[in-house]
Amino acid sequence: MKTGTLSSDPLRGDGEAAPSWWRERGRRHIDWCTAGFCIMGGLLVGITVLALANMATAELADPVHLFKVAASSEVIGSILLTFGAGASAVLLLILFGTPLAYVLARSRPSRFKGVVESIVDIPLILPHTVAGLLVYLLFMRRGWLGAPLSEVGLAFEDALPGTIVAMLFVASPFYVNTMREGFEKVPVHLENVARTLGAGTFTTFRTVTLPLSLRHMYSGAVLAWGRAIGEFAGVIMIAYYPFIISTLIYYSFTTDGIHTSRSIAFTVILVSFGVFYLLRRMTRYLGRYDDRV
Amino acid sequence: MIAFDRVSLALGSFSLDDVSLTIGKGDYYFIVGPSGAGKTVLLEAIAGLHRPDSGRVLLRGTEITALPPEKRKVALVYQDYSLFPNMRVIENVSYGLRVRGMRKEEARAEVAPLLERFGITHLADRYPGTLSGGEQQRVALARAVAVKPDILLLDEPLSALDPVTQEKFIDDLRRLHREDGLTIVQVSHSRREAHLLATRMAVIIDGTLVDEGEANVVLNAPKSREVASFIGVENILDGTVTANDGGLATVAAGGLAFEAVTDAAAGEEVTLCIRADDVVVAVGDRPQSSARNTMAGTVLRIAENGPVAEVRVDAGVELTAVLTRRSVRDLSLVPGTPVTLSVKATAIHVIRSFS
Repeated sequence: MKTGTLSSDPLRGDGEAAPSWWRERGRRHIDWCTAGFCIMGGLLVGITVLALANMATAELADPVHLFKVAASSEVIGSILLTFGAGASAVLLLILFGTPLAYVLARSRPSRFKGVVESIVDIPLILPHTVAGLLVYLLFMRRGWLGAPLSEVGLAFEDALPGTIVAMLFVASPFYVNTMREGFEKVPVHLENVARTLGAGTFTTFRTVTLPLSLRHMYSGAVLAWGRAIGEFAGVIMIAYYPFIISTLIYYSFTTDGIHTSRSIAFTVILVSFGVFYLLRRMTRYLGRYDDRV
Repeated sequence: MIAFDRVSLALGSFSLDDVSLTIGKGDYYFIVGPSGAGKTVLLEAIAGLHRPDSGRVLLRGTEITALPPEKRKVALVYQDYSLFPNMRVIENVSYGLRVRGMRKEEARAEVAPLLERFGITHLADRYPGTLSGGEQQRVALARAVAVKPDILLLDEPLSALDPVTQEKFIDDLRRLHREDGLTIVQVSHSRREAHLLATRMAVIIDGTLVDEGEANVVLNAPKSREVASFIGVENILDGTVTANDGGLATVAAGGLAFEAVTDAAAGEEVTLCIRADDVVVAVGDRPQSSARNTMAGTVLRIAENGPVAEVRVDAGVELTAVLTRRSVRDLSLVPGTPVTLSVKATAIHVIRSFS
């Protein structure tokens, strides 16, 4: 994909000469529009920074307690469980959501397609408790899917599969919509050429369309994973246990008070920030190609 | 080789209506028409990328209407070349062989002579994004030829190239057609390209095939006024036949009387097509000539275009003649110069209103 740095980027810190608009005949020239946008955007970032600073100040004042909580097997296990359940949900999304995204990207506009797109977006617009209730009613022991599946030994209530299925439900629009956008960006002409060169539909998808959509697949998966591991209301309706990190914090808040729950939350923030930073960095190297053709 | 039998297909608001055409083995078949006429859709339909709503597609007499593109032995080159941007040149060119199951090294060895032939061996490890338009064009053509197609489909392949590269590419295409005996179908809106390359051609306007046949016939004897206009006949005049003496008709058009060879009867409305190349310009007293049509006029304007010049003359109706720039100089033509135009009766193509 083409990438570039805006020549008027006022936040450049690479030591290059200031862009022409920034200095004019030795005098500082301020682009009030860009400056205004920076201030407005800064307020948004500022709120997050302020909230983090507030929590960090309190936590770093008692590092022993923070370390004790962070190193507890309950917290480590919960973090690993959350990340693992989220990854499982994303794997299922890749398996089932990728074909759906492709069909949506390549099908012509129709009323039926509009209905399917709306159904895909439902988890976005529903209150999370409603999403959780939908999942619970479908997958509970007497539910339409829960009943037959429990008979073959797959239980969802207060079980890891319940957590995964709730995460899958709330995260699906993030993956499907990102992936669909990626497929839409692959010119149909490329697929047509591949077909005439002898590739069948699936071979064309596998060798041309999918490799050119890898960045979107990755971005969609990261977004969906982030959404999945952050879910609380949707998960708690069907699987209060085993504790994922959000339920553990809630449990800790209601039983041990704010001190411990805040330490868990701070630990989660640090770990999540680190993981997402690494994942974002990796997008720089994945599925890149020069599209000047 | 491949024939369309009354094919119709609708794509959203666009449609192809009742198209019938035949592309023979070894033809260099041109599909021409204005932008948005449906040329590319027709090309894609030949490739099997759109299934007709009605009608049949036949390959050597066998119906292949539902045959998918990967089984038709056609190769398509788009106007934008559509090289796979994530693959190197060598991978692009050998793609067709690889998806047919050929091993990587074997496929590379197979396409090596092609890279050599198209002068792109040195580009083998480059990605398409780093190539010039002409280089991309050659890679796209090599990729298409690598699968040894029965029919090569080209969608306006010259439109994005500079004039020098265009000439080289026209030579490449001519060689592919003549030396390799490849059947080529090319979409174009260029009359010049059709003149240079086509053996047969079809004119498509608004999704309807309005003329089809030998290229020189379509270009020199168009079937309708709109075809004549599209293929660039410079002088098109509507008139009425006033007399016909054994096939030599007199046609009243724009206040002038033209003599032309046609079977049209007196009273019939016709359209006269006169190529600018066929209009002879003379100055001075009325010259002696065997041409049946001579008319006096005044030069309106002269537009020079390379070695030739288009001379627009008001002779009661406005007519265009094409002269060499040297002739313009020798005759001292400038706007306002009185001239005599002459056109042979046999050089006027008559389109009858019912044809």
